Amino acid sequence: MLIPCPHCGTRPVEEFTFLGDASVTRPTTNDPSSMEQWYDYVYLRNNPRGRFDEYAHHSGGCRSWLVVTRNTETHEVYGAVTARDYTRAKGARA
Amino acid sequence: MLNSPEKILPRVSPLRDIAIQGRFGASRTAPGVTFTVRHPLSIISVIARAGQGSATAAALKGYNAQWAGPDQYFVLAENLGEGALYRDLKAKLAGVASVTDQSHGRVVIRMSGPRARAVLAKGTPVDLHPDQFPVGKSALTQMAHVGVHLTRAADDAYDLSVFRGFSESFWEWMTEQAEEYGYQVI
Amino acid sequence: MSSYRLDKGGLIDRTTELSFSFDGKPFTGHAGDTLASALMANGMTLMGRSFKYHRPRGVITAGAAEPNALVELREGGRKEANTRATMIELYDGLTARSQNRWPSLNFDVGAVTSLASSIFVAGFYYKTFMWPKSFWEKIYEPLIRRAAGLGTASRLPDPDKYEKAYAHCDLLVIGSGPAGLMAALAAARSGQRVVLADEGARLGGSLLHEREEIDGKSGLDWAAGVLAELASLPTVTLMPRTTVMGWFDGNIFGAVERVNDHVAVPDPYEPRQRYWRIIAKRAVLAAGAEERPVAFGGNDVPGVMLASAMRSYANRYGVAAGRSVAVFANNDSAYRTARDLKAQGVHVEVIVDSRMDASADSAGVPVIRGQQVTDVSGRKGVTGIELSNGTHIDCEALAMSGGWSPIVNLACHRGQKPHWDKSLLAFLPPDNGPGFTVAGSAAGKMLLSECLADGAAKGAAGGKPVAVPNCRDEGFAIAPLWWVKESHGKAFIDYQNDATAKDLPLAAREGYRDVELAKRYTTTGMATDQGKLGNINAIAILAEATGRSMDEVGTTTFRPFYTPVSFGAFAGPFTGHHFQPVRKTPLHEWAEEQGAVFVETGLWMRSSWFPQDGEDWLASASREVLATRNGVGICDVSTLGKIDVQGKDAGAFLDKLYCNTFSTLAVGKARYGLMLREDGIVYDDGTTSRLADDHYVMTTTTANAAKVMAQMEFAHQALFPELDVTYVSVTEQWAQMAVAGPKSRATLQKIVDGLELNDQTAPYMAALEITVMGGVPARLFRLSFSGEHAYELAVPADYGNMVARAVCQAGEEFGIVPYGVEALSIMRIEKGHVAGGELNGTTTAGDLGLGKMVSAKKDFIGRMMAQREGLMDPNRQCVVGIRPVDPTDRIRSGAHLLKRDDTPSMANDQGYVTSVAWSPMLDMWIGLALLANGRARHGEVVQVWDGLRGARVMGEICDPMHFDKENKRLHA
Ligand SMILES: [Zn+2]
Repeated sequence: MLIPCPHCGTRPVEEFTFLGDASVTRPTTNDPSSMEQWYDYVYLRNNPRGRFDEYAHHSGGCRSWLVVTRNTETHEVYGAVTARDYTRAKGARA
Repeated sequence: MLNSPEKILPRVSPLRDIAIQGRFGASRTAPGVTFTVRHPLSIISVIARAGQGSATAAALKGYNAQWAGPDQYFVLAENLGEGALYRDLKAKLAGVASVTDQSHGRVVIRMSGPRARAVLAKGTPVDLHPDQFPVGKSALTQMAHVGVHLTRAADDAYDLSVFRGFSESFWEWMTEQAEEYGYQVI
Repeated sequence: MSSYRLDKGGLIDRTTELSFSFDGKPFTGHAGDTLASALMANGMTLMGRSFKYHRPRGVITAGAAEPNALVELREGGRKEANTRATMIELYDGLTARSQNRWPSLNFDVGAVTSLASSIFVAGFYYKTFMWPKSFWEKIYEPLIRRAAGLGTASRLPDPDKYEKAYAHCDLLVIGSGPAGLMAALAAARSGQRVVLADEGARLGGSLLHEREEIDGKSGLDWAAGVLAELASLPTVTLMPRTTVMGWFDGNIFGAVERVNDHVAVPDPYEPRQRYWRIIAKRAVLAAGAEERPVAFGGNDVPGVMLASAMRSYANRYGVAAGRSVAVFANNDSAYRTARDLKAQGVHVEVIVDSRMDASADSAGVPVIRGQQVTDVSGRKGVTGIELSNGTHIDCEALAMSGGWSPIVNLACHRGQKPHWDKSLLAFLPPDNGPGFTVAGSAAGKMLLSECLADGAAKGAAGGKPVAVPNCRDEGFAIAPLWWVKESHGKAFIDYQNDATAKDLPLAAREGYRDVELAKRYTTTGMATDQGKLGNINAIAILAEATGRSMDEVGTTTFRPFYTPVSFGAFAGPFTGHHFQPVRKTPLHEWAEEQGAVFVETGLWMRSSWFPQDGEDWLASASREVLATRNGVGICDVSTLGKIDVQGKDAGAFLDKLYCNTFSTLAVGKARYGLMLREDGIVYDDGTTSRLADDHYVMTTTTANAAKVMAQMEFAHQALFPELDVTYVSVTEQWAQMAVAGPKSRATLQKIVDGLELNDQTAPYMAALEITVMGGVPARLFRLSFSGEHAYELAVPADYGNMVARAVCQAGEEFGIVPYGVEALSIMRIEKGHVAGGELNGTTTAGDLGLGKMVSAKKDFIGRMMAQREGLMDPNRQCVVGIRPVDPTDRIRSGAHLLKRDDTPSMANDQGYVTSVAWSPMLDMWIGLALLANGRARHGEVVQVWDGLRGARVMGEICDPMHFDKENKRLHA
């Protein structure tokens, strides 16, 4: 599998470390009432068939955390953005 | 007190007793690859602070700054005293970029010759075709399980910068890959 | 004719004679031969025994699909089992042995199983050897393995080198026959980077063994011209002897280049094989088509072979399969065999064509139409054939052709299925999009002109077209024929696994109708050839037996690898001392001088202890502890992870990473930090120092250095991208040494430049930037892991050995000793400092007795989850000290703690010992343990139960700090 790193260009998957579902968002509150949100954030991960946003660390390259979008069924890779941009975009949507 | 300890306290390369000069491997033809350990070298890591990417790039004009990640560089120089380049850049980039001395932490091996690219292909998945990887370009990659900062120094010359602790292991692996073409260490 | 070598013809060099041996007997052949062709030229048609029935077998093919002629090649460490004689290039000195025979190829005891073969039907292994169960491992399996078994592997190390490499191209062409050459030419002429790979020793594909006419030249000459043009282009890489064996995600292809399999001993500097990963923007599969056998009685007798193989031996190798041959086919292509052999002077007795309406040119050879070969007579070689009308015809060899199967394997490696074409009687490749196309006969193009045009079109792929040369076409017509049911003898479908045509209807009757189940039940297609020859016939018979169409039955899954790949190729150069890299500290040379014994810690080599005069590790470590606690010791701590953290928000970032606070740390000071995972469990610990307002340097444990770095990168980039902070590993920049003991200050004072070390200039937890030895930049931290008055001194790595030597010289008058990680560990256990045994991924800050460090004033990673009820439960196991009640007893790590009077059983488990050490200060074994509600149980006597070693001693629970509870030595 090839991952298009926005910084390094296309590299084989062996250079990356995956961390699963990137759609989860760390809660911004420490209020005790937010515990359910925290459980979801820490423990609940989607594992869809088809299109999936996944954290990937270019550990064998530029060391950037990316969000790679791929199809879990066909392994087609649609693209990759930096986790930084992905998080900022998520924040803007929220 | 001495300001430049290198004058009496020379830096010792971890490859001092490993990178022995001579001719090795196949000897049917002229050596396909030449290895040199670039030591001592000043290597400074420069990482732009938030929003200072272009300011950092601009400030590094005139230096031998190699790309080393997003808004990150290794600035290299030869023949400067201990800490001199670090102090220079730290002063120049105050508030713009983080400056960290890595001169002792990395070992740079220069590999050149007509078969250098073929040897590199045994380790890195980076496409080394000149259209893709022209002179001056750097890449961060892995070879033989070791992280490598790879720079094309000339048409057929490459710098391979690795963490010091891996340098001996890496040297042995890299030179073995060059054996079939014959190599020399100078 | 004692030799079967034809007088002329073939791509062999008759002037070069090569000696080789088969089963110990000497033979000769020529350069250009394969082992198979050379053996045939010597009249050796018997090359092996079959797996189950031990039937005599000869070659069926002239290529990669060969199921029968499997031999053990070479000897000693270079021995390789199950190699195909049809793919082995002959070289001088080659040695090979036949397989599956005992005691000899000609007389095989196991062949009696053939007589009892009615019990060896499909599912035989499952049915017969199921009971009693205990017999399987001890009796049945070894028996079967000895009698059958494939070749044996060498037990000696392989002396040869293997390599891995990457290649990149615009177009990868797989196969160098007419279609492949045209595809490569089309792309190469438009300037693309082309890799042309072919499994054969020589490029040219079918043009090497078929008589063709292209562009007014022989096919061979035309191919030579194209190859010369390709070779002249710098953008083209020609890769003969290279099997593209897998298609993987991202259009990455695995390929094995047999660099030196064609020589007896490779040049010492060259690899035997090279494993390529080819990253291709586009690929064209032009692998050709495989001819199918027909299932009839005795279709495995040596001398029966595929029609294309027989003409390949004649045309390419100048070898006749027999003095008189017959041909049996259901299609036109086999007529070429009759014509080519006749042209070479071999007598062709007859063509038996199953079709009534066959009309191909037989060049005067008699054709019997509408008949089938039911049986072959002869056992170790063909003596004749029987036809369905009862006719017997004498012959020495039989060429058979049941049609052609496009080699679609690679096109299906990523899960796609081929589809059946009723007129071609072939499975055609699936549509894989523009990145991977199939050309030529692999795509079902059965005429040469179609192959050339298709290759040119697929190679150009809409780009600049290339002129397609003229050629002479052979016709292609075919009618179905899979199995001659009137046969009396065994009709084989899968030669290698001895599966017969009858096994498939039987499997269907017994309920194994699904093709994948039938495959496993009959073992059809499960041998090393993966059913290249037999699978389509098997599917057809299964379809008929179950009343389904070919598409309804479908193919079994095509998986990598196309042909077997040696383990050496996969391992590549990463064996022996290259299995993983070794990481040495900047003080390695100094430690060697001091006589260190090294231990692997991750990839690092760390000095473990420094024995003197035959000391064992315990004596050495104990001496090192005593000398350090009584005077001064020096220890290499360079492996600790060191991360340079800078930026306006550096403090705020550290506050997020650690459960305690760093933004409040004073410049010039260090602080111990504890890092949690987001689930509230402790992740790592270490000290962090503040060098300037916006500059910290943090340390991690050796083991977690890389993981913590990745965690920081994640925290910043994915969680808190708004923070203005940078971080970079400086682990390798600094040689760091702990200098510990009451004389540490006096020792260091002698090398520090212009600074008097005292409690004001260098108080406990000070972090100073200084110089030593007249200008060497240094960082001095007053930290202690040992509990002694101690420092850590860091200098740029190139100066490390020099400075360590200087420290040793300075400490000589105080009896300085180097100490290793063993002594370090003893001292930390004496002091009750937690380390890996306690930070084991299950403990909270509270469990470690560090609950007070956890800030309640800020957000940090792990804060919320750490507050969960289960993690705050006072009955959780927490860190305690443990020592034996009887000081002569030994406590062992991993032992479980039980209440004093409980029965030893895991049901009564209260906790376990995490770390132990022989304490030279206390003169007994001491330890740290995790014990339920442990802090309230100091003084309690418990059982220390080591069920694994069957040991049980009594232990007393105590404060983790076994030694110097008031920390007087720290501040001495
Ligand atoms: Zn990258």
